[in-house]
Amino acid sequence: MFQLKWLWHNLRGDRTRYILALCLSVVGSSLTIINPYIGQRIVDTFISGDDALRNLTEERSLLIGLCLGMIGFSLLRTGLAYFTTLLYERASQNMLYRVRIYLYNKIQGQDMHYYDHNRTGDLMTKMTGDLDMVRHTMAWIIKTIIESLTVFAAAVVYFFYIDVALTWWLLLLSPPIFIVAFLFARRVRPMYTDLRERLSQLNTTTQENIAGNRVVKAFAREEFEVQKFTEKNVNYSKANKAAAMVWLDYFPYLETFAQGFNVILMLAGGLFVMNGRITFGEFSAFSALIWGLSNPMRNIGIIINDIQRFFASLTKIVEIYYAHPQIVNEHNAAVKRRYEGRIQFDNVSFKYDNATVLEDISFTVEPGETIAIMGATGSGKTTLINLIPRFYDVTKGRVLVDGTDVRKLELDELRGNIGVATQDVLLFSDTIDGNIAYGDPEMPEDEVEKFARLAAAHDFIRKMPEGYNTIVGERGVGLSGGQKQRIALARAMAVQPPILILDDTTSAVDLETEEHIQKSLRELDYSCTKIIIAQRVSTTAQADRILILDNGRVIEEGTHQELLARRGYYYEVFMLQNEGIGRQATALG
Amino acid sequence: MARNKFDIDENLESPFDIKHFRRALVYIKKQKTPMIVAFVLSALSAGIALSAPLIMQHVVDVTIPAKEAWPLVGWSALMLATIVVSVILATIRSRIMTRVGQDIIFDIRTDLFKHLQELPFQYYDDRPQGKILIRVVNYVNSVSDVLSNGIINFILEILNLLFIGAFMFAVDAKLSLVILAGLPVFFAVMMLLKTRQRRAWQAVSNKSSNLNAYMQESISGIRVTQIFTREERNAGIFTRLATNYRREWMKTMYLNFLIPFSVDNLTTLVTTAIYFVGLLAMGPAEVTFGVILAMSSYAARFWQPILNLSNLYNSFINAVAYLERIFETLDEPVTVSDVPNARELPPIQGRITFDDVTFAYDPGHNVLEHLNIDVKAGESIALVGPTGAGKTTVVNLISRFYNVTGGRILIDGHDIAEAKLKSLRSQMGIMLQDSFIFSGTIMDNIRYGRLDATDEEVVAAAKIVCADEFIREFENGYMTEVNERGSKLSQGQRQLISFARTLLANPRILILDEATSSIDARTERLLQKGLNELLKGRTSFIIAHRLSTVKNCDRILYVADKGIAEAGSHDELMARRGRYYHLYTAQKMEA
Repeated sequence: MFQLKWLWHNLRGDRTRYILALCLSVVGSSLTIINPYIGQRIVDTFISGDDALRNLTEERSLLIGLCLGMIGFSLLRTGLAYFTTLLYERASQNMLYRVRIYLYNKIQGQDMHYYDHNRTGDLMTKMTGDLDMVRHTMAWIIKTIIESLTVFAAAVVYFFYIDVALTWWLLLLSPPIFIVAFLFARRVRPMYTDLRERLSQLNTTTQENIAGNRVVKAFAREEFEVQKFTEKNVNYSKANKAAAMVWLDYFPYLETFAQGFNVILMLAGGLFVMNGRITFGEFSAFSALIWGLSNPMRNIGIIINDIQRFFASLTKIVEIYYAHPQIVNEHNAAVKRRYEGRIQFDNVSFKYDNATVLEDISFTVEPGETIAIMGATGSGKTTLINLIPRFYDVTKGRVLVDGTDVRKLELDELRGNIGVATQDVLLFSDTIDGNIAYGDPEMPEDEVEKFARLAAAHDFIRKMPEGYNTIVGERGVGLSGGQKQRIALARAMAVQPPILILDDTTSAVDLETEEHIQKSLRELDYSCTKIIIAQRVSTTAQADRILILDNGRVIEEGTHQELLARRGYYYEVFMLQNEGIGRQATALG
Repeated sequence: MARNKFDIDENLESPFDIKHFRRALVYIKKQKTPMIVAFVLSALSAGIALSAPLIMQHVVDVTIPAKEAWPLVGWSALMLATIVVSVILATIRSRIMTRVGQDIIFDIRTDLFKHLQELPFQYYDDRPQGKILIRVVNYVNSVSDVLSNGIINFILEILNLLFIGAFMFAVDAKLSLVILAGLPVFFAVMMLLKTRQRRAWQAVSNKSSNLNAYMQESISGIRVTQIFTREERNAGIFTRLATNYRREWMKTMYLNFLIPFSVDNLTTLVTTAIYFVGLLAMGPAEVTFGVILAMSSYAARFWQPILNLSNLYNSFINAVAYLERIFETLDEPVTVSDVPNARELPPIQGRITFDDVTFAYDPGHNVLEHLNIDVKAGESIALVGPTGAGKTTVVNLISRFYNVTGGRILIDGHDIAEAKLKSLRSQMGIMLQDSFIFSGTIMDNIRYGRLDATDEEVVAAAKIVCADEFIREFENGYMTEVNERGSKLSQGQRQLISFARTLLANPRILILDEATSSIDARTERLLQKGLNELLKGRTSFIIAHRLSTVKNCDRILYVADKGIAEAGSHDELMARRGRYYHLYTAQKMEA
């Protein structure tokens, strides 16, 4: 069975431990069957037996011995149980640990396409609730199954040994129990799949509400959000109830059958005693151990319940577990070369979900050059730069770095040679220092400060209560847009990459600060090819070349002056942006 | 600034007490009636189930020795009947309790979520999102069973214990004391473990919170991680967090399973003590064999509920670790809320007055000082100035995202501190720097601005902001599914959608905070035309760095040095040749 195979596979490293635990479970549950006999022995010998009185005076040492034996036996049994349970816990925690880290790496290794189609809340559900179900399966379900089976088997063997016919009469109850259990399993399974889905929706709604809390407040949509949440909450609650109700539809039958062992024993056993088939003592032996049949049967329902839950969760987990990104980072770049920084787009086209985003783009950037890209919203600027570090692969054509197709380069090496400051600034809930040094956590503090200065971030960071040790929230909340951008810029520059890509990184920065940044970029102390996406002419003016994108095509290409002279898109933008401050294109051109 | 990050535990100083349960009682009380019914059913079911051993005993003692076949059938039928009845009662109880348990956590979760809606930005700024999420979903789930079945079983077991205790004493008081002698030991063990166990569970909840916070952050920051090729290092951090979690979990388990271990052995000890005392110390003269036999079985029966209770106790102490987090969140103060007799703000005309406003995020660090601004209804105001000077703060104060530290802000002469928040914010359109997109269709995302807007109105708003064209280019047009992180939309497109959302709200006051920073100049120009039409008669505040956005505003305020450094129209400010002039002309534009 796939599920078992999967568990076994992931148990690697703890298989011995787990098997030991299973064996000890068998021993331990056998002991629970033997346990009552010492007590019985004491009672028989010293209390209810015929020569109890005589034994009491003559065999005191036996009594003391038996009592001590009972205590010792109890210590042994409970000690063993304690040890066994911890073995299960340890093995299941280790497995949880391994799977969790494996999944984490899987998630980290997915390409952008995957992230475009999977919601954070959904991934979080997999990493929390679903994983816990796996742990529960290993630590509890399998343990319970084994222990129930042992007790059941031991009781059956013992019963057969005493009397075959009565045992068969008792076992008559097993088939109906199994049938009911089977029917239950079949019916409850889709309910847990459903429940699982609703939990995921609840998680997603909550997560988005938290992430978007500013928008919620800005629109005073608290009530709407509560409504939306309540709907998911109700759905989840309903699904929980529904699954439990299905269980309770079958529970009475299973429970009645399980307790029915007592009735059969009383009736059939009683009749057997009456007609002399078995002795009274044998009847007592049966009744002393009848729980060995009924308890495991009672557990069947609970076990099936949990197994179905586990199946529903595992289905979700394997979605990530076996997810295979189209762009795979093998992480096996032994020596990471430093590139020169030549970038070439060779007839590149790119389609996303069947829509053409880029068409037939060709251009070359020489090492050390600065290229500016400008164009209308949605014209494909960000997509174009996303192709260089291979966030996506081209549909047609080639992207070459230092003359080699990026698809043939080691991904770690390629990305390690590129510094990107993305448009949507994502910072981590870490100190500012930790955020700037994200690419190289060992970076000394004065280096961090140096790059912060270059990005015109040092001044505001210094003014913060805890300076570079100030913790910024996720998405850098608590910082202004321009401040976030400058930290992201410092972070990208700090890698000292031969290729630096700035995706509209200074849009929220005031012009004065931007000028400082431009100066820094020109004077970087390492050689660096720069690709800068910008909307402001002030940002693009100094570039070696400017590309204008429109609808996924390059419509203009040239220097600032050349493009102004062309009186095309660029000229138009220039005029729009300089209206009113008396600066004339001609005066500059 | 944030106080917490993924690897910092959130410490709770409050000592362990029953207070958390008393608070939980508020939720449990709502379910009083069904719980009492369930309790009665349980007691009945347990009572009926007790008759089975009695029947068995009678059959063994009387019916079988007498070889009465038909009475045996009769007794068997009776036993089956008691089983059926007690199972049916137990099933009904479970049905009731399933609902109760689900309803309790439903209520807690709803309250928690509602409270979160009222918490200020600061709360969200202060901690990783994953830590909030795990409380609302996972923690609340964890307490469901304890707060429903746990309580009932607790009472049942106590009753059970009292019953057996009473029977026990009725049979023999001295030997009963022997059985009770185990209790002090039991309590000593519990006392010894209690604090450690609580600490241990707290540590588990802390570590799982950290782990999840990092997980969530790794997902949202994946693009940055990949480009910086930090995967391995992040995996290292994650491994460390997972290791911490595993360690704390195992520590907790070591303690947890000590309890059944102790109780089990104590049961054996008191049972053997009965034999010792009864048979050896007292002897047949003082106590009959029958009594000893009965007492030895009572010993086991008396300690069974104690074992059950201690297992319940284990889950209670685990639940407390989650409950205290939940209640801590519920106790988080709401700093911006309606004052006791807040009034509805009448339809806004649009005059806004800052009257000697001072503001500080952290006491002692004023961001704005003695600010006085008077904006006429319908005026459009641009806020410019260096980043971090407080432009966003100014607009955040108008929407009362924060309370002013000193002074007042008036809208049409009404102090906004005394107006109902909802009546204030629902009349304002605020477009933030961060254009958040909810997962759902583009249509839904725009409609977020006005929930009852028709499709036509949504499209009309999209047309004004020049978003209609690109939206229609998608295969599914307005019904295209988008999500928070997805790259289906470019940043500029996100801004346009969020712009449309703001316009749809038909606000009396419009606030645009870097709303068009990622939008190209040409689109912006087109947008401006539609916008100018729309802005007529509405007050607006625009924060922007781009001159083209700023210069058409009626008045430009240059924010710097904790106040307004320059104010006037574009032409006036250019003529003044001050900081504004400098801002736009100082750049060297020659190639």
